[in-house]
Amino acid sequence: MIIEVEKLRKEFNGIVAVDGISFGVERGEIFGFLGPNGAGKTTTINILTTLLLPTSGTARIAGYDLLRQPAEVRRRIGLVPQEVVLEGDLTARENLVFHGMLYGLSRSQVERRIPELLELVELAERADSKVKTFSGGMKRRLELVKVLIHDPEVIFLDEPTVGLDPQTRRRIWEYIRLLNTEREVTVFLTTHYMEEAEQLCDRVCIIDHGRILDMGHPEELKRRLGERDIVEVELSEPCGGFLSRLESMGYRIKSVRGCRASIVAGRREKALAELFRLAGELGVSITSISVRAPTLEDVFIHYTGRGIRDEAGGDSRMRQIARRLKH
Amino acid sequence: MRFLREVYVVFWKEMLVWVNNPMLPVVRALVFPMMWIVIFGSAFGGEVNHIPVAVVSEDTGELALSYLSMLSTGRTLELRYTSPTEAERLLKTRGVYGVLYIPPGFTDELRSGGRVRVSLSTDESTPQIAEAMSAHILRVSRTFSAALGTGDAVEVVRNPVYGRGVKYLDYLAPGVVMMTILFSSIFSGGLNLILDREFGTLKMLMVSPVSRDAIILGKIFAGVAQSIASGAVALLVAMLMGVHLKSGAAGFGLVILLMFISGFGFIGMSTAFATRITQLEQLMVVMQVIIMPMWFLSGGLYPLESMPDWMRPLAIVNPMTYATDAAREIMIRGIIWQTLAVDFAVISAFAVTMFLIGSYSFKKTLGGVK
Ligand SMILES: Nc1ncnc2c1ncn2[C@@H]1O[C@H](COP(=O)(O)OP(=O)(O)O)[C@@H](O)[C@H]1O
Ligand SMILES: [Mg+2]
Repeated sequence: MIIEVEKLRKEFNGIVAVDGISFGVERGEIFGFLGPNGAGKTTTINILTTLLLPTSGTARIAGYDLLRQPAEVRRRIGLVPQEVVLEGDLTARENLVFHGMLYGLSRSQVERRIPELLELVELAERADSKVKTFSGGMKRRLELVKVLIHDPEVIFLDEPTVGLDPQTRRRIWEYIRLLNTEREVTVFLTTHYMEEAEQLCDRVCIIDHGRILDMGHPEELKRRLGERDIVEVELSEPCGGFLSRLESMGYRIKSVRGCRASIVAGRREKALAELFRLAGELGVSITSISVRAPTLEDVFIHYTGRGIRDEAGGDSRMRQIARRLKH
Repeated sequence: MRFLREVYVVFWKEMLVWVNNPMLPVVRALVFPMMWIVIFGSAFGGEVNHIPVAVVSEDTGELALSYLSMLSTGRTLELRYTSPTEAERLLKTRGVYGVLYIPPGFTDELRSGGRVRVSLSTDESTPQIAEAMSAHILRVSRTFSAALGTGDAVEVVRNPVYGRGVKYLDYLAPGVVMMTILFSSIFSGGLNLILDREFGTLKMLMVSPVSRDAIILGKIFAGVAQSIASGAVALLVAMLMGVHLKSGAAGFGLVILLMFISGFGFIGMSTAFATRITQLEQLMVVMQVIIMPMWFLSGGLYPLESMPDWMRPLAIVNPMTYATDAAREIMIRGIIWQTLAVDFAVISAFAVTMFLIGSYSFKKTLGGVK
């Protein structure tokens, strides 16, 4: 275990952000924290990267205790926080040099590593451009290799693709996989995108209100819901009677929007047959119907009764002003 | 050794960012001070009162006494009767702005219908005061002569000892130079820290193994260096505009040293404020409630003597007063340690205190594992 977390708890003036969580991350894994906004993901990352003191509990990273040997921990980790923390007025190269020097590398040592790292995320030609001319995706890529400059054993990525378009997001995923395999670095990431957790992570830990709901390989988590499929059905109005009859037959209706419903089916063959039979009996017509395998979203809903909404946190007013002042 | 290297790395990055943003430093260093000079340089007003003047009187006759009592009527002058050597010392150490010399036989000469000359040695490093003082003495002398029946019985010979030919621009420039230090400290210290925190750039340092003290020192040193750079530019611009720098290279060096010391004080101060500030708007409030008054009440624009009495205590506790005063001393009157010592002592004490408070509160807000 490269990260061992033990009964970690963090309160902010009585508000419990992280509620006594324990878990471990294996060396070489891509480990994901999946949860909605406010679940406690950033707080956990901040504690594990020594930025915040936990209220109680502790963790060991690469064998060093977080609270007693912070310097040893810091040398072995890298953090890509939720917000971009590059210096926009400096070039990509200068950003990397500064970062390396913070870790005690000499300028020439850093310069030697730069081409290889920039190559990895296809930014080599932009080495000497100012970072403020980069797109959001390019900045993310640069951040990803910036934290590799001191050869950390674990990198922490807080919502690494938030605010990026789907295409760029996929590219970032590829880069993260590449870093993980090529550089043999353990990745701890947080996300509130189901897809990201499913596609990228070897293991996912579902977190809400500071508590761990479930943990395991994405497939394993879904399997734990049982061999159940989800039937998405759209009916003609009125459909109230139809849905209540279904529930009385023992089907769970996950969500209803007008006459569109997601229904948890046991075996899909049986469920479909019963649905069509009931529709015929009540004179309701089915406008569309589809069957899908469960996703992590369904797992989350199973535990919390609600979905993970994508409330992409907009910029605070202060941040807008700050940005204007800076550029 | 490692610690120094860490301080240097933090310092180096701050400076690199600063240098890479060429517009801002220029704007801060030039446009601001120019604006002040133009606005206030042409809008000076205000009545000067309570000007201390030494009187060396070698005549104790009746007319000398009544001349002197006429001079001390009103609030303009405060006369002090002294010996010639004491008067000279007072003028040098800014105890008085002028020495009025009443020659022996003043009364007799006038009685016999003759004419006398009184000489007025002046310190003109504060031109508004020198003007007010001379004008008052001239006016009184004319009235006095008229009462005797001859329009010009008493002639006043003005003799500038310090600050010969000093104009308002010369008076204003030292204050503006120090103002540049004060204002750029707010940008390079407080604002910078708030932006760092807001943008998370501080996080990058905090997760690295660099020691917390090195982060703080590196940032503070960079802030001071940036302030000095702005101040030096302002000083050079002032000199290009023909402003006095009496003591040449030594004076220039001493002004830079003064900027260095005050820079620590102001950066420390703005850092201390910034650690308590969560919103940029609050910084603007600090700017208006603390920084601007510090500048207006420093004697940078108008001599302290022109302030209403209730305001003077504010000027006396204002560290900016001493910084401005020291800069003006060096630039106009020359390096006279008897008077500079107090200024430097106050500024240094302020700098040490603020540096400690600033770095302590900075360290406290960094949080996390120590
Ligand atoms: N500095 C803080 N002060 C007070 N409350 C905080 C602070 N940071 C986080 N919280 C609270 O802790 C909870 C978890 O926040 P966070 O870890 O940022 O969630 P996530 O990253 O999963 O969106 C939220 O309720 C949030 O409001
Ligand atoms: Mg977060």
